[in-house]
Amino acid sequence: MTPSMKQKTDVQQGTLALMVLKTLDVLGPLHGYGIAKRIEQISGDLLSVNQGTLYPVLLRLEQEGAIESSWGASENNRRARYYRLTREGRRQLQAEVRDWRQTTGIIARFLTAKAEQLS
Amino acid sequence: MRVLWRLWKRMRNFAIRRNGAPRLREEMEQHLALQTEENIRAGMKPEEARRQAALKFGPAEAIQESYHAEAGLPRIERLLQDVRYALRRLRRAPVFTVTATLTLALGIGATTSIFTLVHAVLLKSLPVSKPDRLVRLGKEADCCVQGGYFRDKDYSLVSYELYTHFRDKTTGFEEMAAFQADGNFLAVRRVHDARAAESYFGEFVSGNYFAMFGVSAYAGRALTRSDDEFGAAPAAIMSYRVWQQTYGLDPSVIGSEFNINGKPFTVVGVTPPGFFGDTLKSMAPDFFLPLATEPLIQGDSSLLKHADAGWLEIIGRIQPGADVRSIEAQMQVELHQWLRSHLNEMDANAAFDIPKQVLYLSPGGDGITSMRQQYEDWLRILMIVSGFVLLIVCVNVANLMLVRGLERRQQMALSMALGAQPMRLIRGALTESLLLSLLGGALGLAVAFAGSRLILRFAFETMTAVPIRTSPSIPVLLFAFGISLMTGIAFGIAPAWMATHADPVDALRAANRSTRRVGSLPRKTLVVLQLALSLVLLFAAGLLTAALHNIEHQNFGFELDGRTVIHIDPVLAGYKPEQLELLYRRIHDSFANLPGVASVACVQYSPMSGDSWSLPISVEGKLELGGNADTEAWWARVVPGFFDVIGDPIIKGRPIDERDKAGAQHVAVINEAFARKFFKNEDPIGKHFGKSGMEYANEFEIVGVARDARYLTYNLEKPVGPFFFLPSTQSTSYRDPFAASSEIRSHYLHDLVVRMRPGATLSESLARRTLASVDPNLAIVRMQTLSDQVANTFSQQRLISRLTSLFGILALVLASIGIYGVTAYNLASRTSEIGMRVALGADRSDIFALILRGSFLLVAFGLLFGLPLALGVGRFLGSQLFGLSPFDPIVLATAGITMALSGLFAAFVPAYRGSSISPMQALRSE
Repeated sequence: MTPSMKQKTDVQQGTLALMVLKTLDVLGPLHGYGIAKRIEQISGDLLSVNQGTLYPVLLRLEQEGAIESSWGASENNRRARYYRLTREGRRQLQAEVRDWRQTTGIIARFLTAKAEQLS
Repeated sequence: MRVLWRLWKRMRNFAIRRNGAPRLREEMEQHLALQTEENIRAGMKPEEARRQAALKFGPAEAIQESYHAEAGLPRIERLLQDVRYALRRLRRAPVFTVTATLTLALGIGATTSIFTLVHAVLLKSLPVSKPDRLVRLGKEADCCVQGGYFRDKDYSLVSYELYTHFRDKTTGFEEMAAFQADGNFLAVRRVHDARAAESYFGEFVSGNYFAMFGVSAYAGRALTRSDDEFGAAPAAIMSYRVWQQTYGLDPSVIGSEFNINGKPFTVVGVTPPGFFGDTLKSMAPDFFLPLATEPLIQGDSSLLKHADAGWLEIIGRIQPGADVRSIEAQMQVELHQWLRSHLNEMDANAAFDIPKQVLYLSPGGDGITSMRQQYEDWLRILMIVSGFVLLIVCVNVANLMLVRGLERRQQMALSMALGAQPMRLIRGALTESLLLSLLGGALGLAVAFAGSRLILRFAFETMTAVPIRTSPSIPVLLFAFGISLMTGIAFGIAPAWMATHADPVDALRAANRSTRRVGSLPRKTLVVLQLALSLVLLFAAGLLTAALHNIEHQNFGFELDGRTVIHIDPVLAGYKPEQLELLYRRIHDSFANLPGVASVACVQYSPMSGDSWSLPISVEGKLELGGNADTEAWWARVVPGFFDVIGDPIIKGRPIDERDKAGAQHVAVINEAFARKFFKNEDPIGKHFGKSGMEYANEFEIVGVARDARYLTYNLEKPVGPFFFLPSTQSTSYRDPFAASSEIRSHYLHDLVVRMRPGATLSESLARRTLASVDPNLAIVRMQTLSDQVANTFSQQRLISRLTSLFGILALVLASIGIYGVTAYNLASRTSEIGMRVALGADRSDIFALILRGSFLLVAFGLLFGLPLALGVGRFLGSQLFGLSPFDPIVLATAGITMALSGLFAAFVPAYRGSSISPMQALRSE
């Protein structure tokens, strides 16, 4: 494993969970493939390969109680596991979005800062 | 919160073995199907669409694994895997597993039981509050009554007057209590109870005794100072044991009236269950009575008023921060003051010696340590022995682990070559060692429980109430377990570590084609060490057994067969000295008329009963025996016919007989040792001697000499000492009050010896009935045959020699297993070599000799190194051998031959198997 690839997975671990929560918040209950599709659409190539890594993340979120799942029928009339945001998950999402905004805001201000502002 | 929730789910998944694999598989299938459909819609061919979908999904195996890791507890699962694997490997090698486990169990168990006993007897404090603040007067335990104002060593036993002197004058003590150095038997009966009086052990204690120890009553109240005032209503406190065993915890006992030696007492309370008094001894007191009631109970033989009779021990609780040394100095001054106040009762020489009298204070938290002194030597021996066994166990485990590790070299090399992680392999070996140690430890715990109970039963078989708890000591158990665990781990990991650091290619290549035996030196060294140690233990066991045999089968000088000893205490029944002569006559007559009884005699104490009376004597006309000369002699009072009853022949003169009435010439019968010591070549008959001072030197006329008989239960390694017998009918009034009191006490004859006709026996119930017909208040304290009484004297020695033999055999078995292991392993690694040799024309006996030669060497080295060690241990045993030479050649030869034979026998089995290897078999086995 090269260092760059490792960095990329690290980023994924942190953000993927947030993306899953946001997707379910916006679109309502979805199955794994559906979630992967949406994240791919919005985030570009972040999840265009290794979509399977989504499933361990889903399991973890479910164990943490942020989402819950149940079997349902998919569009091709097969059995599919549908994931749904719980109240706890919504709270978690709001908290994480707030944190994320704060962090990105600070970083953004920092990156746009001019030399005279820093002196 | 979230973390905990998740952990809970993971643990649940782990516990119910749900890893979500089917669900993930289904979800993956669905995912791929949807992606494939979409790819087809986008215009791909079905196979291509499926392939692209799979590519996009990513590595399925890795995802499953990480999914699985999220779902369960991977570390624990891996551990379980290791354990399962190790268990499977252990199951595949049952001989190794059983041997190692049993070895560990025996080692841990045996060591723990011995150390538990040692801990209980040697190291434990009294069960009282803050034992570290207790100090006692004197360094060693003395017993039981010391006469006169002077002590040869330091002052430890004091009179009641000296106790009150110390108690009232000394500052620095919170409480200073005194108690009887030895207890008494008491005849106890509850008033209005139909049961007859029973004899219990009792002790006189000062009123502040319980307050000093900080022990409060379990029920009722403890004795107080006011109970110990003269004229106070007699009160007693009962032990929990009696309350439970005799009175079934009946609460009405407290506050009720009891007859103790015929005197009314109120039982005011019960001591706590764990409290056994001030001294760890075979018989814990069952009744504690105030000192002030001593004259009431003891009557004419009371010691309380005698300022020159030392019969009390002192233990005190010092004030916090008080300096023991300055208290000691203060008491030293008080002692001299007190001695000077009694100047008019001493002779001139004694007064001159007052400044030489010293006292010491020693830590009192352990109580009076007579039991410790008594058992210390042999407990130490047992400790060393069990230490040796633990060492041998460790050596054996180490050896077994080494052999096992070497056997697995090849397998490990193969695993390494196939890409196994070295850590994982070492962890495997570690898991195996840990499992073995745990198994051994668990079994060891069971052995320890059974062992300490067993040893305690053997050790104190004559005791009625042993105040020692049998639960194994936890620190010791952990220690033994820890030692064997570390050995197992170290010698389990070492070969694995070496194997993983060797080049796999070398290991695989060298596998079967070499005549060089790798790593056999450490194992051989260990086996030699084992053999040497087992020789040491065998030798020690042999010496102790031989010594015991010698001493048990020595000529005691009296007859053992057909004699029964009945121990009674006439003081209990309240007899006055002047009533005794008639009492003994009546007892004699009623027993003599029983069927099967040949003859009967009463004696102050019977041979080897454990009691002994001794004092310095003076011989008429021998002034050189005055002053500091050693004139100590033992003595006992007997009735006519005594020598005939115990079978001790009179070799000169006459025995004590009916002629020796109270008013007749005072006579004595002496033993040969007495004659040798005080009369050398003279004829002792008709000579005079006396006790209690030169002025009585013409008191007793010697009328006979009896053959030397072993009367005492100590000094067994020395020749029989001087002894004299006095008739129970005669008594002297001594001027010295203590001598007078002891003269009175000597007339109470405690033992009734009954000689039965051949084939007849005396039942205890008949003896009780017969005694009751003389006086229903007379209780039998103890009844046993004379040979049992003698045998009980050696129960300690028997225990040590049995245990040492047990350990010796254990060590021998372990060492034999060691030899067997080494030989068998060498044989296994040489199978192909032997096959070659046979194919090239070596015959069976050559091969046999080849294999056995190695073991001969091991045994020879074992003997060589064991011999000096064994001789050293023999020297150490020294005084325990009762005169047997610590270098006894027969014992040494027996031990050596036993060790060599069993070692060679252990090697013989694999050697025989090796010599029957056929070349075909050997070559095929590769």
